[in-house]
Amino acid sequence: MKKILTGFFVLSLLLTLFSGMVAAEVQLKFLHRWTQEPYYSFFEEVAADFEKLNPNVKVDVQAISNDPFKEKIKIILGTEQGPDVFFSWPGEFTNRFIRAGQVYDLTDVMEQGWKDDFVYSQLEPFIYNGKIYGSPFRLDAKVFVYNTKIFQEVGVAIPETFEDLLRVCAELKQAGITPIAFGNQAPWAVSHYIGTLNQKCVPDQIRLTDIQPEKGTFTHPGYVEALKKYQQLVPYFNQNANAIKHDEARINLFNGKAAMMYLEIVEIPEIERSAPEEFKANYGIFKFPVIEDGMGDQDYLTGYPEGFVVSANTKHPAEAIAFLKYLTGKEVGKKEAQELGFINGIKNVVDKGEVKDSIYDSTQIILEAKSLVNWLDSSLHAKIWSVYGPELQKLTDNMTTPEKIMQQIVKTAERVRSEF
Amino acid sequence: MSQKNSEQFIRTCLLLILSLLVIAIVLPMGWIVLSSLKNNNEFFSTPLKLPGRLLYVNYQNAWNLGLSQYFINSVLVSGVSIALTIVFGSACAYGLTRFYFKGQTVLFYLILGGLLLSPQVAVLPLYRMLNQFGIYNTYWAMILPYVAFRLPFAIFLIRSYFISFPRELEESAYIDGCNALTTFTRIVLPISKPILASTAIVTGIFVWNEFLFALIFIENKSLMTIPIGLSTFRDALTTDYTTMLAGIVIGSLPIMILYLAMQRSFIKGLTAGSVKG
Amino acid sequence: MKRGKYTHWLFIIPALLFVLIFVYIPILQSFYFSLFRMNSYSPETIFVGLRHYRDIFDDPIFYTALKNNTWYAVISVLCQVGIGLVLAIILESKFIGRSRKLFRNIYFLPSVISVTAVGLMWYFIYNPNIGLINSLIRWGGAKDFSFAWLGQPKTAIFAIIAMSQWQYVGYIMMLLIVAIQKIPVELYDAAEIDGAGEVKKALFVTIPQVKEMLLVTSVITVIGSFKLFTEVFVTTRGGPYDTTQVLGTYMYRHAFFFDAMGYASAVAIIIFVITFVASLLQIKLSTRN
Repeated sequence: MKKILTGFFVLSLLLTLFSGMVAAEVQLKFLHRWTQEPYYSFFEEVAADFEKLNPNVKVDVQAISNDPFKEKIKIILGTEQGPDVFFSWPGEFTNRFIRAGQVYDLTDVMEQGWKDDFVYSQLEPFIYNGKIYGSPFRLDAKVFVYNTKIFQEVGVAIPETFEDLLRVCAELKQAGITPIAFGNQAPWAVSHYIGTLNQKCVPDQIRLTDIQPEKGTFTHPGYVEALKKYQQLVPYFNQNANAIKHDEARINLFNGKAAMMYLEIVEIPEIERSAPEEFKANYGIFKFPVIEDGMGDQDYLTGYPEGFVVSANTKHPAEAIAFLKYLTGKEVGKKEAQELGFINGIKNVVDKGEVKDSIYDSTQIILEAKSLVNWLDSSLHAKIWSVYGPELQKLTDNMTTPEKIMQQIVKTAERVRSEF
Repeated sequence: MSQKNSEQFIRTCLLLILSLLVIAIVLPMGWIVLSSLKNNNEFFSTPLKLPGRLLYVNYQNAWNLGLSQYFINSVLVSGVSIALTIVFGSACAYGLTRFYFKGQTVLFYLILGGLLLSPQVAVLPLYRMLNQFGIYNTYWAMILPYVAFRLPFAIFLIRSYFISFPRELEESAYIDGCNALTTFTRIVLPISKPILASTAIVTGIFVWNEFLFALIFIENKSLMTIPIGLSTFRDALTTDYTTMLAGIVIGSLPIMILYLAMQRSFIKGLTAGSVKG
Repeated sequence: MKRGKYTHWLFIIPALLFVLIFVYIPILQSFYFSLFRMNSYSPETIFVGLRHYRDIFDDPIFYTALKNNTWYAVISVLCQVGIGLVLAIILESKFIGRSRKLFRNIYFLPSVISVTAVGLMWYFIYNPNIGLINSLIRWGGAKDFSFAWLGQPKTAIFAIIAMSQWQYVGYIMMLLIVAIQKIPVELYDAAEIDGAGEVKKALFVTIPQVKEMLLVTSVITVIGSFKLFTEVFVTTRGGPYDTTQVLGTYMYRHAFFFDAMGYASAVAIIIFVITFVASLLQIKLSTRN
């Protein structure tokens, strides 16, 4: 027994020694959130390509999938061996790390010309208090994807206004079809609806003040109004929305069991890859309909880019920045567009014809939008979202009222303000 | 005659109830195993039917998708944790039983007190501590806390065994020229094999199945043990359900087989333990 | 005997250090952390005194968690110890012959599988569309039946509890079987001479004789109920809308999702108090003989 034990200790000692020797070259730790194929391999390839271009650098690629990522990133950033380059959602989700001094300030390097590579509207979300902290990896926005065949058969048109949408849903339901597929097991799904509705019902200045944790009050009546609008949609969702995952619900859209679904544009490549031919040939997209008496700007689009940031604790800032620049640059962007169907934030990264039309066209919607509204969950302070998210699920099950929810949010916002 | 008949009747009723329970236990497991041999479409459209063609490839896929690595990690972490728990635990039990010194009882209760403390309570500070020691996200980040949390029980178990040895045992060893250490390794340990085996099994089951520490202290896929691996599997394979199911089966099988092969020691260890999960 | 004055320390110290460093110190630290507002990724800490404890006792979700742990404890004691006892008595009775070993092993088997694997299994079994349970109900006639066992607030926590009963009844049964096997045969013989049947023997010999074990198994079941984490984490993660939250997941969620490590430490201390008291009880009970 003793011998085995000594063996283990010696072995582990040797291993540490060896890893120390290998580390003579620069070792970068890179963390993203795409554990599924083909995305996972894509990042491995990009890292390998970067290593080829920079023989002195080794990139250690790690991935944690979407929902656990939101917790794990906080565990990891609290450790000594945090990643050098990591994924993050711009907005409050990243801002909290910036406030804690965890994110490298890229302003100086960006100002040396790098900044000009980007479509500015896609870089803007990474700016906090006037400084640039990240680089966009893929553009995204939320639209309704609908089954053109079903719409035709039932005889309904694309809704222009929210009232239209309710009418269309009613007719679809009468025809025996689930109007809207919805999987809300993780409440980020409902946050996309509420984010959109809040934006359309609350004046922009007030909404933009409210998402700042040190100032937010959430007292404007538009917030209650938004939830009431959402309540009107609830009867048109599939059963058990809170019990199924987003991807599970999406299968119903693909199989023609549901007529439409509020999806992200980045899901279009997934449609092209895994939906049945029948659906691929018969789908279209439309923007969230206008709320005629809404107090917010009706031309905005809900959606925000996602991207990567460099850790403030990196021991190799030059190499980490070089990798970030490569990862979110034009060359990788082209490969990304063609292999994954994601468009990054670089100007004219692909031309029409270089990727599928559905992908190119949907991206234009994002680029042409008057302005983008960040996802509700990643734009709110953790404590406010900790109340908002579960309450919104409750509302989906008709277990609470809009007024009650907003009372709680107001109270929580007050507590958050007091902590700044 | 009627006595015998009624006895027969009771026996039949009882067997019926017991068999129903067997179905309740076996059916869910059987369904998982059968489903793991289907393709996704079959699983979705006909969840109750037998698979058309047995897709062993699901198992191959699950294995290649990382399960093989999780498996090696689980074996390694369990092995080292068991070894350390046995070595330190038996040494400590020996020190506490075969020597007489002031404060012995206090010390024993201090160590035994560890039994009262739930790992959950320590997890947040441990995470910071492991990080300060520079072993966060290494095998040691799991092994050291596992050993620490299993030691009080191991010592409790082994001590109660050592305490029954007669004093003469060491006296004769001393005459044969042994010192304290060699008495321990040459005389005491060899005759304690049964209790060491039970300790090893209780420790092994705990470590093999542990989730919370492994969830928080490990980040790299290449270091994950089976429980964490399986749960990340689920997150990564949002649409490939049957491969996931194959993974569950592979992850559960070894310990079930081990149980069936070593029932006696298992039961002894677990009943002596009376501590769940 | 050739022994230095301090030889015993050489044997004791390694284990002692392990326990002190990795068990005792963290628990003291937990209490210390609970007095601060802090999160995992920021060096900033702000002393808030006992405020977290006050906030916890103000939070309705804390009571949901506490209620769920309590439900889990009550049902587990009734089911696992109750059914476990009945099974143990039946299997050890004269009615069951050689097949007792087979039954025993089958019932025991789920308890050696990891909670993670069991949780993931049942996650599929409970699935509203393709799960085993709903499929069986549909097969039995209710054609459009689609109930989300883990997705409805009224059933979710009970679905999780049911899963645990499935896993652990056999374990408690096994503990009781071992206890029953230790009962001296003479007691049964004496009862038989008095004309007692199987039921009477169970009631007047077996149960009084395994009383201690019944208490011990009840207490370990209760302790286990307050250590709950994995069962919930791999099935519902506390949802839908926090209705299946238990103290363990509530702590984790606050530590790493809501960035409130100090608050989470205060929850940890509450778990500590509950499990500590229950464990003291267990040790008292199991060392009484």
